[in-house]
Amino acid sequence: MKRKKLRFALAGNANVGKSVIFNQLTGLHQHIGNWPGKTVEKAEGTLHFKGYEVDIIDLPGIYSLSTFSLEEIISREYIAFEKPDLVINVVDASVLERNLFFTLQLIELETPLIIALNQIDIAQRKGIKIDHKKLSEILGVPVIPTVAVKGIGIYNLLEAAIETVERGIRSPRGIEYGKEIEEKIERIAAAIREINLPYPARWTAIKILEGDKKIEEEVKRANPDILRLAQKMAREIERIHGHSCSTVITSERYEVAGKIAREVQRIQPVIKPTLSERLHDVTTSRAFGYPIMLLVMLSIFYAIFTFGDYASTLLSDLLYGSKPFLDQFLINTLLKELIWGGVIEGVIAGVTIALPYIVPFYFILYLLEDSGYLSRIAFLMDVVMHKIGLHGKAFIPVMLACGCNVPACLGCRIMETERERFLAAFVVTLIPCAATTVVVLGLVGKFVSIEWALLLYIVDLAIIFTLGRVAFKKLPGEPTELIMEMHEFRMPHLRTVISQTWFRLEEFIKIAFPLIIISSLIIKVIELAGMFEPISVLLSPVTVGWLGLRYEMGIALIFGILRKELTLIMLATILGTTNFGVVLTPIQMVIYCLITMLYIPCIATIAAFIKEFGWKKAILITLFEVFFAVLLGGVALRILEPLGVL
Amino acid sequence: MLVPLTSLKEGESGKITSIKANPRGGGGWGFWKRLMDMGLTPGTKVKVVKSAPFRGPIEIYVRGSRLALGRGMATRILVEIER
Ligand SMILES: Nc1nc2c(ncn2[C@@H]2O[C@H](COP(=O)(O)OP(=O)(O)O)[C@@H](O)[C@H]2O)c(=O)[nH]1
Repeated sequence: MKRKKLRFALAGNANVGKSVIFNQLTGLHQHIGNWPGKTVEKAEGTLHFKGYEVDIIDLPGIYSLSTFSLEEIISREYIAFEKPDLVINVVDASVLERNLFFTLQLIELETPLIIALNQIDIAQRKGIKIDHKKLSEILGVPVIPTVAVKGIGIYNLLEAAIETVERGIRSPRGIEYGKEIEEKIERIAAAIREINLPYPARWTAIKILEGDKKIEEEVKRANPDILRLAQKMAREIERIHGHSCSTVITSERYEVAGKIAREVQRIQPVIKPTLSERLHDVTTSRAFGYPIMLLVMLSIFYAIFTFGDYASTLLSDLLYGSKPFLDQFLINTLLKELIWGGVIEGVIAGVTIALPYIVPFYFILYLLEDSGYLSRIAFLMDVVMHKIGLHGKAFIPVMLACGCNVPACLGCRIMETERERFLAAFVVTLIPCAATTVVVLGLVGKFVSIEWALLLYIVDLAIIFTLGRVAFKKLPGEPTELIMEMHEFRMPHLRTVISQTWFRLEEFIKIAFPLIIISSLIIKVIELAGMFEPISVLLSPVTVGWLGLRYEMGIALIFGILRKELTLIMLATILGTTNFGVVLTPIQMVIYCLITMLYIPCIATIAAFIKEFGWKKAILITLFEVFFAVLLGGVALRILEPLGVL
Repeated sequence: MLVPLTSLKEGESGKITSIKANPRGGGGWGFWKRLMDMGLTPGTKVKVVKSAPFRGPIEIYVRGSRLALGRGMATRILVEIER
């Protein structure tokens, strides 16, 4: 029997439990990628149920179907153009009103719909009881109560979904606005029915009344008269209500959501504050908020680096241990050199970063995110991030960047607008990652003094702030401010966290490995061709003349493009000693580290940047940083030398 | 009396009356639509729960959920204090 195919989409606000439901439904049959040409994640999976093969798409978590963020545009275009057989709207029962506001918009978009009323356990803890049958009656949509983390209701949800599709979907009636508005919607919608648009007529009419730029464009292209009519109507509504038409419509929608919520839920005030409540109070309190945050972050970094260091050494010993075994198969020495020096070294480099550092990093990040603590950190750090024109959420990629710039670059997706994403990613590439820290501590920290290493960090921080501010002022577009829901603290769902980590690892490997391998191969070829010496000489006007370094250091800096710690390892190889104090002057070490911190994002970061923002921006940023670092290094030299402090 | 949301003390509530345009330009349709979509429409009751130290964002309780709101935005939301 041939399986019948269906397509379902999961939609809902952020943090309602979509990922967990997605995981429960699809298990291991899933795949995470990007929406074509967009820096927005797309999770797809399949499941088999009662003779159906169902493709499930997890749409991004959003609050509305307007054009504020990329996620919102993607979601509504997916629903309107791709027309999934069914949209499963996941609703957080503990914040029903806000969630229903989104549900009402889905209904308005004439989406075939069922509702998963999730987190009823949390709602109960807050003293909220919801009559789901009544909710279903009012909305005209099946409502299935679920507790996703325990798997409760998931089977029923699937059964109801299939049944809804089989029975044929009745279009639920959307909300009715005030009479004076309805009348106008009807007039505009009637005109829109004459032209050919992919969206439902009534929805389109409402959207142009709301002043939605994207829809306005489309209507204008088809028939500018309709837009003029709508604008006239909108002004009339404004005159009647004294608020902009968009405000009036949104208010009414919220009024309806609130009314429905009040009708179906019974709230018994909880006398004792819940654990989640108390955690929230402590983690955002004036006295304890920052100390707790600092403690949490320090322990995370400490744990990851201790574990990472141990695991990384173990892994590389293991991998290099296989050298004699592999050597048997390679007779030709030139080929051996190339394969070892280029390909295998590259793979080893990748593996010894990815497994010991990236995996635990992501794992903990997702634990923090799903528990709800990340949004408290964003709340606390908003002030700081504001100084460079970003808001609190941007602190999350910044924090990640101290470990590794690659996941940080990808993590900039949490910012709402393209502008913010780019700005955050730019800042991220300037932040010294773990490998850079190793170099700074291993060179300046050890052979100059720990104070100088610290000073380097302070200078770097100042530079980040300055450049961040400049970029913020120069970039076109409007800055956004923090506006974020802070959810209840919750127990993360381990299986979901693990699968999220797994997909991140896969992504890292796909992005970083090819470039790491290719570039180590190129460097090997250069080495075998005996080009190190000529290149060093070629670079010497800059390295020696401008920066006052030894001419061999140019090559080490080139290696640093592969991985930042190579600037130290190769330096030892080239200079033939690890006792750098003997062969380098303190000033040389300080300048060298300053440059290492800033001069270029490593090749894997560049790859991530290309993936998220395209070639042009990646090259621009890279060239800028190289130029800037060299300039700064030379200036620093000219300041430090006459001062005679080193 | 109309006051900006930021001048409410912790624990005080108010009813939103209007949202001021950004004096420095920018923060146009997108910003403002965002506030609406998050439920901060005129007539809505909001309670200020907490403000973050160092003139950081404020935490408000609105429509049964907790929101963090940047201070710049919050100063532009005018409310009528409810006592
Ligand atoms: N107690 C409880 N927690 C849940 C439930 N559903 C999801 N969660 C938790 O809520 C958090 C957010 O869920 P997630 O699926 O990541 O939300 P998404 O942003 O909608 O994908 C996670 O920590 C989940 O473990 C539920 O029904 N009950």
